[in-house]
Amino acid sequence: MTMPLEVRDLWYRYPGSGEDVLRGVNLTVEPGEVLAVVGLSGSGKSTLCYCLSGIVPHIYSGNMRGEVLIKGTPTTSMKIPQIATRLGIVFQEPDTQLFSPTVEDEVAFGPENLCLSREEIGERLKTALKLVGMEDFRLGSPNQLSGGQKQLIALASVLSLDPEILIFDEAMSQIDAQGKTAIKEAISGLKDRGKTIVMIEHDLDNLDVADRVLLLREGVLQPFEGRL
Amino acid sequence: MKTGLKGLDPRSKLVLVLCLSTLGVLIQDIRVLTAVLSVSMVLSVAAGSRLFALVKKFRRILWLFVAIAIIQSIFSPSGRVLVNLGGIKLITVGGLYKGVAMVLRMSIVMVSATIMATSNYREIVQGLVQWRIPYEIAFMVSVAIRFLPLLTDEIKNVVTAVQLRGIELDKIPVRQRLKVYSYLIMPVVSGAVIKSRELATTMETRAFRAYPKRTSYMLLTMQRADYAVIIISMAVSIFTLMFYFYAI
Repeated sequence: MTMPLEVRDLWYRYPGSGEDVLRGVNLTVEPGEVLAVVGLSGSGKSTLCYCLSGIVPHIYSGNMRGEVLIKGTPTTSMKIPQIATRLGIVFQEPDTQLFSPTVEDEVAFGPENLCLSREEIGERLKTALKLVGMEDFRLGSPNQLSGGQKQLIALASVLSLDPEILIFDEAMSQIDAQGKTAIKEAISGLKDRGKTIVMIEHDLDNLDVADRVLLLREGVLQPFEGRL
Repeated sequence: MKTGLKGLDPRSKLVLVLCLSTLGVLIQDIRVLTAVLSVSMVLSVAAGSRLFALVKKFRRILWLFVAIAIIQSIFSPSGRVLVNLGGIKLITVGGLYKGVAMVLRMSIVMVSATIMATSNYREIVQGLVQWRIPYEIAFMVSVAIRFLPLLTDEIKNVVTAVQLRGIELDKIPVRQRLKVYSYLIMPVVSGAVIKSRELATTMETRAFRAYPKRTSYMLLTMQRADYAVIIISMAVSIFTLMFYFYAI
C-alpha cells in the first residue's frame, strides 16, 4: 500500500554549514493519521517541514540526501505546483501568508493558479471557508482578523487546493488560546474527512489532537517519552 | 453597494487620474492649475477618498511644500525682486510664480492619486490584468502596497528597540542621530528580506506560476458610467490642453 508520506534516511545540511540539521530521518505517515513532531528550537523541525513539502530542495538549496515520497513519488521528481495539489503547508507567521485585500481573494489565489474554472473556484472557496468555519468573513480584509482567524484563513487558502496531506509548521505558536482551540477543532474536522496531518510543535499542550507523537532531537527522530 | 464615482471600475478611475495628472504636468498657468486642483479635490471627495484625513495626517510635511516653492523661486529668478539679500535676488515675482505652480502641480498628482485609493488593490491588479498588463507585474505592485505598512512597523520596532537601550533620539545631535539611523538600516533591510522570502515561499506552495496563464475568480466589467467617465475625462483634458496651448 502506498503511504501518503514517507521519509527514507533523510539527511540535510544548509549551504555553508558544517553540520547536518537532519540526520537519517525515517518516517511513515499513515492515511488519515495526525502525527505530531515535537522538539526544542534548533532541533530541525522547520527544516523537516521544508523537506516534507518540497521547499527543500526546490526553493531552498543545500545538501539533501535520502528521499521524501508523497504518495510514492519522490519530491525531487515533482515540481512545487504539483506538490501543492497533494500537500499543503501552513506556516508559523500569519502575516506573511496573507497577501490579498480580501479573504475571498486569498482563498481563491491557489485555485486561480491552477487555471480552474470560475465556477470550480467558487465551489472550492465555499467548501474551504466552511471547513474552517470562516464563511462570514469571506468579503472582509485579512488585516482585520485576529491571529487565530488569520491562521484559519491561511489554512482555508491551502485547503482550496484540495491537498490530501497537510503540514502545520508551529501554526499555533503565535496565537491566543481561543485561536489555538479553533485551529485544533479544524484539525480534528480535517482528520474526520480523512486528511493526513503532520503537526510540528514545541508546545506540548497542543498535542491532544495527535494520534502519534515523535521527538526530533538534534536532527534525529525518536519516540516521544513526555520530555523534550 | 458602491454607487457614483465610488462604484467606478478601477480602469476608468485610472484614466481619470492620468488625465488630471497630465493636465497638472503640462500646464504652467497657476489659474488653470488651481482650477485643475479644485476639480481633483471635488472628484476625490466624491469618489469617497479620505482626502481631508490624509491632509491632516501629512500636515507635518506641508512645510516642505513651502520650502519647495521658495527654493524654486531662488533658482529661477525673473521679474520684480521681492527679497534681495546682499545683491542676490532671493525671491522674485516670476520665481515665486513658478514655485507656486510647482506646488500646485505636486498637489494635483497627489490628490488625483487618492482617487485610485478608493479601489482595493486586488481590483486595481485585476483592472491592469484585464488591460493585458502581465499578472506578475500587477501583482508585484499590489504586494508592495500590502507590505508597506509591515515595513513601517518593522522600522518602528527597530527604533523602539534602540530607544529601549537608552538612546533618546530626540535629544542627541543631528550628526549622531544620523549615525544611529545608519545602524537601523541593516535590521530593517534583513527583516524585509526575510519577510519577502517567506512570502515568496508561501506563494510557491500555493502553485504560483504553475502555468503560464491563470484564471481569475474576480472579473471586472465596464458599465456605461465607466465609458462615460473615460470619454468625458479624455475629451475635457484634450479640450483644456488645446485651449491652453493655442488660445491663451
